[in-house]
Amino acid sequence: MNAPHRRAPTAIAITGMGAVSGYGEGTGALWSGLASGRTAIGAFSRFEHAAYRTQVASEAPAVAPFPSFRRLSIADRFALTAAREALAQAGLPARLDGLEVGLYFGSSTGGMFESEEYFVDLLAQPRRGAGIGRLTAQPTCSPGETVARMHGIRGPVETVASACSSATLALGNAQAALRAGEIDFALAGGSDSLCRLTYAGFNALRAIDSRACRPFRSQREGMSIGEGAAVLVLETATSAEARGARILGWLLGTGASCDAHHMTSPDPQGAGIARAVAAALDDAALSPDAIDFVNVHGTGTLHNDAAEARMLRTIFGERAAHLPLTSSKAAVGHYLGAAGAVEAVATVLCFQHGAVHPTPGDGAVDPGFGLDLVTGTPRHLPAARFALSTNLAFGGTNAAVVLGAGPA
Amino acid sequence: MRGGDESGDVVVTGLGVIGAFGTGRDAFAQGLRAGKPRLSAIDRSAGYHRPGSARLAALAEVSGLAALVPPALFRRMSPPARLAVAAMQLALLDASLGSGVDHETTGIVTGTAFGPAWVTEQLLSQILGQGPDQASPALFTESVASASAAQMALTIRARGPNQTLTQREASDLLALAEAARWIRDGRAERVLVGVVEESVPVLHALLDRFHALARADRFGPEEARPFDLHRGGMLAAEGAAVAVLESAQSAAARSKRPLCRLVAHGAAFDPSAPAWNWGSGEAQLGHSLRTFLARAKVSPSAIDRIVSGASGARRGDRLEALTLRAAWGDRPLPPIVAPKGATGEYGGGFLAAGLLAAAGESLAPTAGFREADPELGVAPWTGDTLAPPALTLLTALSSGGAAAWALIAPA
Repeated sequence: MNAPHRRAPTAIAITGMGAVSGYGEGTGALWSGLASGRTAIGAFSRFEHAAYRTQVASEAPAVAPFPSFRRLSIADRFALTAAREALAQAGLPARLDGLEVGLYFGSSTGGMFESEEYFVDLLAQPRRGAGIGRLTAQPTCSPGETVARMHGIRGPVETVASACSSATLALGNAQAALRAGEIDFALAGGSDSLCRLTYAGFNALRAIDSRACRPFRSQREGMSIGEGAAVLVLETATSAEARGARILGWLLGTGASCDAHHMTSPDPQGAGIARAVAAALDDAALSPDAIDFVNVHGTGTLHNDAAEARMLRTIFGERAAHLPLTSSKAAVGHYLGAAGAVEAVATVLCFQHGAVHPTPGDGAVDPGFGLDLVTGTPRHLPAARFALSTNLAFGGTNAAVVLGAGPA
Repeated sequence: MRGGDESGDVVVTGLGVIGAFGTGRDAFAQGLRAGKPRLSAIDRSAGYHRPGSARLAALAEVSGLAALVPPALFRRMSPPARLAVAAMQLALLDASLGSGVDHETTGIVTGTAFGPAWVTEQLLSQILGQGPDQASPALFTESVASASAAQMALTIRARGPNQTLTQREASDLLALAEAARWIRDGRAERVLVGVVEESVPVLHALLDRFHALARADRFGPEEARPFDLHRGGMLAAEGAAVAVLESAQSAAARSKRPLCRLVAHGAAFDPSAPAWNWGSGEAQLGHSLRTFLARAKVSPSAIDRIVSGASGARRGDRLEALTLRAAWGDRPLPPIVAPKGATGEYGGGFLAAGLLAAAGESLAPTAGFREADPELGVAPWTGDTLAPPALTLLTALSSGGAAAWALIAPA
């Protein structure tokens, strides 16, 4: 087995990936879109939004229904679609009853979109509010539970709801459970759909760009919300080797921290996210010099990008100016609770294709950052072995993962 | 399902509780000894409740909160965040970690079933009722499920890992397990495990519409009746409980006597569960529980107390009882106590009761239980005060399918 150089003894193998994104269903569509340099952010029709401050988002196309399940939310269906692809790629059966599998998911709003329809009725006529069944998929844990139910998972199931760091934290929880031998396989990922609450909420904070977001550009004005799901199948190297599974990449290290600075603004010095990154590198037994590229949180908000730029200089020093940097959010929007999952998948796809995907968005890169943002076309990096992916969230919740390339 | 590695070196050194029994661990313990829920009428003026719906909830006594939360932060916090921060302050005092402690390596993991319900209701009212431009940025910030964990971290500048789990009724034990992993893996020196919930009219009314709540009926008043033949639902509760976890070495180094010790944790899932109820996977869950105990190298006969998450839910208590029977097989079950009869469901009462019971606190017989259900074959303890246990199993089976267990021993 061609394991990555200096692989930590507790590296976790990624043997399956699935995604639903604004580019369509599947990791193939995701990579084609990412590599194209075109953004999937634009006009959307999920809900009537003429009265909202901004008019763009990244909407995923409709996914096929799952007739055996009633009352699924859109986020549930995204999750099921991504999980099905990931399991198939991992060579695992659709029913996991006989295996020791855990599920670790991130979500921010679960079935909130469908709940809003219910609340429109309830607020108008509090006593009537017909059709309580419309709320069955409302809980944040619904996408993960739905996947577990569909695939007969009998191990631990837990949902992280730590806003925009949720899925990255879920990856860390899965990694810990696998390392501890609590399970043999983990499905880790996240799912979120567009909804009025987050769209209006981020607009209220003036955090949404009126155009497709432009991370790290001088003229950036905010983020763009997206929707979709991503799921990764994780297992120990021993397990993957024993069953002859194709290793797509490695989850080498995870780290987390809290700014304890402000509910919405990141620590301007980037100290909190730097601690999470340092912890992830330490967990992976790698020095910063080993990192070949970074898929940053990169929302496109003024403060977030500035804090991350400072983090990059803290961690990588002068090398930050030459380290290829990308932001998947400029391509597919911000998946909120699922962001870390789709960005982990995007990062592994970069390894697989020997190239770092570009960061869509017009305008010049902010010269004050002194960073090497990949723009326009993919940056060929066939020898890349290690990458970092970061997420920041409300409340200063930071998370980072170190990923490694699979065998060539 | 195998469950976590033995977590014998992880101990609980502090506990803070805010709830219907009042403020503080002593008030809560007194409530447990009294064994009766302290219920209040839920505000029905918004009109969400239908005729004949549940009317009561174990609402938190909040008059003392302002004294525990810094005023500048208090006014910016959602109601559950206030509860969580106040409970945290009490827990830190209980753990002898009051002011002056640097929390650079303190982690926080919270569990919540519903998140900030009042804030979400207000925000949706603004967006859907008045228009999206009326959305309050302050409310939006506090609407995330992790707002309580974030406010806890802000209050004491806790810079370690911070995470919120939402897995309905299993959230509390899953949070406890995650905290143990962080300590075991060296990701945090200590971890504050918080469970928090509010019980607001809209949430109460919706739970009632799902037939989740107990109602007054011909068998008695509105009450939870865990394991009872005539159980009809749970009592909604609000409050917060925060436990301080650290390694036994850390506690010893600062000469702090722990309250109790986490021996092992485990979790499983019942895929037969529908989205808003309990399933019928008792055989599989019983197998998972047995496997968890075997991995922890604990014989069922070594467990001398079960603190059950039974809440009075019709299907939930059935699954709980049959799972325990499946796990124990022909062996007699140890005494079972079901504190949710007194504490209600949600808000940290179960976790706090479980930790205190494991530490030797006596619990009154299960509130609301009167007549055994022959289908269950399990009845809670109704005899005299029990001797302090040597090893306690905490169980949490949640609607939707998640399950979690913890083994707790006295310090």
